[in-house]
Amino acid sequence: MTRRLLAVLWLASILCAALFAPFLSTTSPTQPVGDSLLPTSGSLPLGTDQLGRDLFSRMVYATRTSMVMAIITGALCVLGGTILGAWAAISRPIVDRALLWLGDVLLSIPGLLLAMLLVASRGTGIATVILAAAIGGIPGFMRVVRVLFRQLAEEPYIDAARALGATSTRIAFRHILPNAVPRLIPLAVSQFAWGIVNITTLSFLGFTGDPALPEWGSMLNAGRGYMLDAPRLVLLPGLAISLTILALHSLGSSMVRERIV
Amino acid sequence: MVPISYRRSSDLLITILQRLATSAITAWAAASFTFFTLRFAAGDPVAALLSRGLASPSDVDNLRRQLGLDQPLLQQYLQFLGGLLRGDMGNSLYTNRPVVDIIAEQFPATLSLALLALVFTTLFAVLFGVGAAWWSHRRIGQLLESLSGTAIALPVIFIATLSLLLYRALRLATILPGESGLINLLLPALVLAFSTSGGIAWTLQAGVQENMLSPFFLAAKARGVGNGLPLLWHALKPALPPAVSLFALEAAFLFTGTVVTETIFARPGLGRLLVQSILEGDYPVSQALVALAAVVYTLSNGVADILATILDPRIRRKT
Repeated sequence: MTRRLLAVLWLASILCAALFAPFLSTTSPTQPVGDSLLPTSGSLPLGTDQLGRDLFSRMVYATRTSMVMAIITGALCVLGGTILGAWAAISRPIVDRALLWLGDVLLSIPGLLLAMLLVASRGTGIATVILAAAIGGIPGFMRVVRVLFRQLAEEPYIDAARALGATSTRIAFRHILPNAVPRLIPLAVSQFAWGIVNITTLSFLGFTGDPALPEWGSMLNAGRGYMLDAPRLVLLPGLAISLTILALHSLGSSMVRERIV
Repeated sequence: MVPISYRRSSDLLITILQRLATSAITAWAAASFTFFTLRFAAGDPVAALLSRGLASPSDVDNLRRQLGLDQPLLQQYLQFLGGLLRGDMGNSLYTNRPVVDIIAEQFPATLSLALLALVFTTLFAVLFGVGAAWWSHRRIGQLLESLSGTAIALPVIFIATLSLLLYRALRLATILPGESGLINLLLPALVLAFSTSGGIAWTLQAGVQENMLSPFFLAAKARGVGNGLPLLWHALKPALPPAVSLFALEAAFLFTGTVVTETIFARPGLGRLLVQSILEGDYPVSQALVALAAVVYTLSNGVADILATILDPRIRRKT
């Protein structure tokens, strides 16, 4: 119980930081405000980073960047996975098997490599990183949705809808989907956590193409060269990533355990 | 009438052959996907070289001919597939050396890291998973469970950076003997193993816990198997097949590239080669690495399934 409370509190403060970034920090996250690696002081609560930029401001804006990227990634996975999974579940066996097989092909390339393949083909950039992180997550989500839809399709009210002459598309989205949502929410939460891992890892490897971008993964990477002089440069972004993922996992599993949704 | 035992083994053979065929087709599709993704979306690799000033306009035609880009796409594709089978994957755009040679040069570093990491992965997974299930009502069990939970949740980028920071801050290099080996191989292997073991430990724990509640476990207890290792084996053995399958997948993943770990520990290897080739736009290298990874991953997935079929007769009967 306390664990869930902590998780919710952490996620709420992360979201607040992301939403109100311009009000929380007054300095620019990309312009130097003083010498490099300045210690903590009154006007600079976390000091400056290796290039003399306000670390507090960078952390706040990084929260915004990482959250937005991860939310878009998660949304793409959930949306794409649900549509394809529903399509597979209601289609004729041949379409179903073709979709599953295509998913298997995508899953046969390890997620990070698939993402890197897309970066290689489209060049570095924020949009590419988001797309790359999302595509790897779609086949897995599709499989779960398909199984869930198949299970729910056995319910008597589906037979009733069918007897009334509803089309399969209508049955899938008007009758099955609303009943699947409660079980999809915990999955979407863990998909979001997975999105954060992928986004920050790809940024860490330099695939956003912008080293100045305030983002947890790129900050963790850029701070590595200075970690003995200023451990906060790697600890703060690293802890932010890890705590957010842990919070999402414990929120997701407590939802499953207590069936609150 | 065919004798029963004979019929069963031929069933198994057919299952295995079917699974291998499926794997081969999926591997082919994944390799093709790699080829076409790079070819359609990348634009002209030669234009990319030009824009970086790495080729002069007069070289363009030569370069295109050399890379086979002047040929129809279908022919390029067939050449790519043929090359993949023969082990000829073209030359690097930058060094002009055969991609196979570059990969062969980097492979031993990844292999030694992956092998050592696999040994540790097995240790961690059994310790975390089986320990958490066996001592689930004691503090040590809960501790082990939270360790595997941490391993699943924490991203490798942070585990690796943190361990490197601790290593340097505590000056372990000056205390421990053989510092270069430790930092170059042992530490990255431990980090990789820790983050790989989480999922396997979780699978093992779930399996052992389920088996400890099942009738055959009670029966073994009642027969007087004792409380020690023999009893543990009763709970562990049926939990092994899914864990072995997962282990095989993770192993393939380790071999195909330990991208993040190699980057952070500044180790040579296939993962770092891939990152470098992508950032440089050296598409023959990236293409070969991703295609190879997909083939290895798919085939080992197939082998893992076959292994599970052999280990667990219940799966065999279903197919």
